[in-house]
Amino acid sequence: MRVDEAVSVSTTSSGEPIGFNWRGIVFLVKSRPTRWFARREWWVEAARVHRGIGSGVIEVEMWRLQAGQELNTEAKAEFELIHNAEDGVWRLTRVWG
Amino acid sequence: MPQFTHLHVASAFSGHYGVTRPELLAEAALAQGSDALAVTDRDGLYGAVKHIGACLQLGISPIVGVELMVVDSTGTSSLRTTPTERARVVILAHGQNRGIGWSKLCEVVSAAQMQRIRGGKSLTSKRDNPVSIDIEELSRLIDGGGCTVLLGSDSDLGRAVLQADRTLAESILESWLKLFPKPESFAVELVSHLTEPGTDRSSLVARRLLQLADSYRVNCVLTNAVRYLSPDDALTADVLDSARLLEPLGMFEPQPNAQAWLKPAEAMHQIALEITEERSRATELIDATNRLADRCRLDPVSDCGWGKPKTPEKSALGIEGNPFEVLWQKCQAGINWRYGDLSATKLTQIQHRLSQELITINKLDFATYFLTVADVAQMIRDMRIRIAARGSGAGSLVNFLLGISGVDPIEHDLLFERFLSTERSSLPDIDIDVESARRHEIYRAIFKRYGSNRVTLLSMQSTYRGRGAMRDSGQALGLDDDQIDEIAQNMWRFSARSFRGALETKPELANFAQAVEQDRRMNLLVDITERLDRLPRHISMHPCGVILGDSSLLSLTPVEPSGMGLPMSQFDKDDMDPMGFLKLDVLGVRMQNTMAYAVQEIERIHGKSIDLDAIPKDDPSTFELIRTTNTLGIFQIESPGQRELTGKHQPTEFNDLTIQISLFRPGPMKGNMIAPYLDSRHGFAQAHYVHSDLKPILQETYGVVIFHEHVLRILHVMTGCSLAKADELRRNLENPRIAPRVQKFFKEKALERGYSKLVVNEVWGILEGFGSFGFCKAHGAAFALPTYQSAWLKTHYPTEFLAGIFTHDPGMYPRRLLLSEARRLGVNILPIDVNKSTREYRVEKYRANGKTQTGIRLALSEIQGVSENELDRIVAQQPFENIADFYLRAKPSRRTLERLGLIGAFDELARQNGDYTRGDVMARIRQLNAIKNRPAADASQPTLDFESLAVSALEQMPTGHAEFDDTEKIINELLFTRMDFTKHQLEQYRPMLDEMGVVYSDELVGMRNKSEVLVAGVRVATQTPPMRSGKRVVFISLDDGHGCSDSTFFDEAQRRCSHILFNTRLLVIAGKTRRTGVRGVSIMAENAWDIRELWRQWLEKKNPPTELAG
Repeated sequence: MRVDEAVSVSTTSSGEPIGFNWRGIVFLVKSRPTRWFARREWWVEAARVHRGIGSGVIEVEMWRLQAGQELNTEAKAEFELIHNAEDGVWRLTRVWG
Repeated sequence: MPQFTHLHVASAFSGHYGVTRPELLAEAALAQGSDALAVTDRDGLYGAVKHIGACLQLGISPIVGVELMVVDSTGTSSLRTTPTERARVVILAHGQNRGIGWSKLCEVVSAAQMQRIRGGKSLTSKRDNPVSIDIEELSRLIDGGGCTVLLGSDSDLGRAVLQADRTLAESILESWLKLFPKPESFAVELVSHLTEPGTDRSSLVARRLLQLADSYRVNCVLTNAVRYLSPDDALTADVLDSARLLEPLGMFEPQPNAQAWLKPAEAMHQIALEITEERSRATELIDATNRLADRCRLDPVSDCGWGKPKTPEKSALGIEGNPFEVLWQKCQAGINWRYGDLSATKLTQIQHRLSQELITINKLDFATYFLTVADVAQMIRDMRIRIAARGSGAGSLVNFLLGISGVDPIEHDLLFERFLSTERSSLPDIDIDVESARRHEIYRAIFKRYGSNRVTLLSMQSTYRGRGAMRDSGQALGLDDDQIDEIAQNMWRFSARSFRGALETKPELANFAQAVEQDRRMNLLVDITERLDRLPRHISMHPCGVILGDSSLLSLTPVEPSGMGLPMSQFDKDDMDPMGFLKLDVLGVRMQNTMAYAVQEIERIHGKSIDLDAIPKDDPSTFELIRTTNTLGIFQIESPGQRELTGKHQPTEFNDLTIQISLFRPGPMKGNMIAPYLDSRHGFAQAHYVHSDLKPILQETYGVVIFHEHVLRILHVMTGCSLAKADELRRNLENPRIAPRVQKFFKEKALERGYSKLVVNEVWGILEGFGSFGFCKAHGAAFALPTYQSAWLKTHYPTEFLAGIFTHDPGMYPRRLLLSEARRLGVNILPIDVNKSTREYRVEKYRANGKTQTGIRLALSEIQGVSENELDRIVAQQPFENIADFYLRAKPSRRTLERLGLIGAFDELARQNGDYTRGDVMARIRQLNAIKNRPAADASQPTLDFESLAVSALEQMPTGHAEFDDTEKIINELLFTRMDFTKHQLEQYRPMLDEMGVVYSDELVGMRNKSEVLVAGVRVATQTPPMRSGKRVVFISLDDGHGCSDSTFFDEAQRRCSHILFNTRLLVIAGKTRRTGVRGVSIMAENAWDIRELWRQWLEKKNPPTELAG
């Protein structure tokens, strides 16, 4: 299922998500999350691309993880989160299962 | 601290791929705590020497490799089928094995490069094969060791692993292992760019590859397949990808993200852990990488011959015995040749100077070097090609005696120490100027004489500059060509790096600046153009360099095919000194061609043979001509600025030319050296020498320090140091860090020798201010020689000289301006004629008005759109009896036939046959062009078909068509030859110009200072020279058929006419005259207009359009 909603995420000190709040429900990460980087089409989106602007215009940090509701130890689903390194905002983009 | 060595790094010298220069990569590696770094450029070792140099300076170990495409050509016939691509691999040279690894690497790269011309493909066709090496050939080449191949994700193996096809992957890996069985020759390369799990370059896929390799016990290493220094540079890589693929962004699969940067060791350890998911395996992966790195650490001296001068073996030079003795003998023989008739005292002086030079040469062990250059010079002379030396080499008596240079250093008071001294040990630079058109002939002869194992051409890395950077950026963004052209047209003399800054300050960019504010894409265009600036763009043949070495040359440098067919080194001129390569600059100078051509025409027409190198250098009429400032066509002094300076300077002897050429440079202009020199010369000020000891040194320039030689002598006289030491001090003066030490030395020594504090301080002030302004007098004198020779030819043989200028086009001006100059000099210009014109501008003798006259026959090659084959046919079939005969035998295309008619090339032929006009000629051409198939010209063939009948039936010329008027003629001439040979194109507008009161350029010299004037003409030059104030000044020169007027546009005037400043061709300029010297007048421009615009308005005023009655 594709979604695009802001979520609040709590992370470890190294930036790895450990839990998030989606539609008022708290989800806890239940496996080692995988981080990867997807690219952005800066020539379509960006206003400026001068030297030193940083890699934020060209790539974005993505996380894929399995999480479930706090009290429900059995049920879990796979989530994809996108993290904007510039403003620190997290958005939930996809849910499987 | 964790250790990690990057083994796969493309530098900016991987054209259109890598982003960062080697020096920056090495600095970053050191800052990250690495003690070694590899550079593995694509398809060559382009950045290798710069990388090694940077590593040496920083104290880390250089590692060098290449990234190459490996193909499988089994079963492909070499001509038709393309070999299948197997992989792009990295091949690393092992180090510290006395060059075995390095020479193997060179051999592999050269072999891969030669693939481009496999099967007779040529480079110029743009359809050459890709650079690649056959897998079996690669296996054979590195079978004996010396290199390691890294096979990674960009391969058949990587693709099979990506598809998770384990069986296929296993069989592919086995096939590689069969060809590369030795563990030290082969490793699997793991890369994770942290892409989406399961996709290419993801940790997941790397893990699969690792597991496969582990099961075969194949060595694995980790790299980051680096393309740029920092994540920020990834965007530049996107643009380079677009330029390489010739597709705009969005039309191709871009790099997956911005992870291909030079990551620090911790980050690489993290990646190792993410791939292996096991700490011990991760550590082993890093260790294996570092072990391979250790094996590849190069020792530049023993592996690459770093810094050791290499010259051809004695046998290749055809000498026996001690090279120094041979050199000594050759110089003695040279004394007889050059100074046969000198007095004994003079000869003693020469012998003394010679022994000083020879001692230095012997100490540096450069005898073979000089013999090599002398041998080449002799070979060129034997080919009967004009040759001259340039640069500091002209200061050497040895060079003069060996015939390398034509300037007598004794006569011109030039110093050897500026050229060569025991204080430096790098090979000196000797540059040789030859006739441009015969340069390739010389290269081939050098290859033949010394053997292709000892010679290669030199390459050149061209870099992105203003317009080029903007064009490729525009294409990446998908802008259309017209839009790009329009912006490019107004990019004028500024570095692309400061594009954004230029938007605010340059009036001609005002429209574009507005577009940038409103259009996001224009904004991006500015940003990425700035990013591309200065990046290497592509490699090409250096226009004048040849590398001469011994028989080991091809083990030290990789070569690739060049446009002219001869192999070319992948190293550029900056790499020569570090590699100890002897580079010979054989510069093609069109002026040398021009002069050779003029001399040949003089001999053909007048039967006089002239030795330009032997003409007296004090011919009064030659200097008289120079002083008139009509110097168009004369070497070095024809530019508007030099013409102005000539007017002020008024040279009277050869040394004046040396001085003038040296003065007209950014340094002396910024340093305000010109005015004091001119003032003293013309007696407006007293020459100031500071101290009587300096008078003998500076007398020639009235106390102004202009030459490096001046500085050397001042230091020598005031401190007592040797001239060789003085040259070291002079070089150090240019370095602000070391200059204070020079100051200390100078002041202490000079005070010790009794000079007063006042004198010492003042002289130091001069030396310090001299900085980098000065010029090597030897270089100036070497340049003054062709200046004088060309002026002499222009004075005494203007027709033959201009014929040479037209044919070889040596200068900065368009041919149509030279046409104007010919008219002004009264040189006859003969129009293009199908029966008399050739590819060259020949001097023709003819009779007119009862007298024998000479004139220049314009060349056929000047007509746009006429093919080489057509030219060959026309020249071979001359003469023609009539137009139909021409049509049948020269077989011109319809377009060529029509153009020849329109510019009057058949006029003379038509006149011979009767009283026909050009209108008649065109009617005849239309008839011929209407015939569908051209019949055979061969008379023995029966010509009975309908078309032949059509031709013969039309033997009769049509008549009664009107003659072209002058305006029509000029329009066609300009359109198809860019020249107006009937008369000056400005004459069309004469009625309006007269009415406006526009003056001719040759009237300016008689006008009072600050007169208000209008001048008109065709733009012939636009210059924006560096100014002392740093403000931009634009100089525009206009030709009006009577000479040139030069106008200066300052800030306000630039703003006022920004729209026509750089583009409009025909101008009227309003301004005030400004006297600049005895014969010099320029115009301070106030405004300018497009003549055609004025003409339209003027015509409208004359004939107001009648209103249509409603």
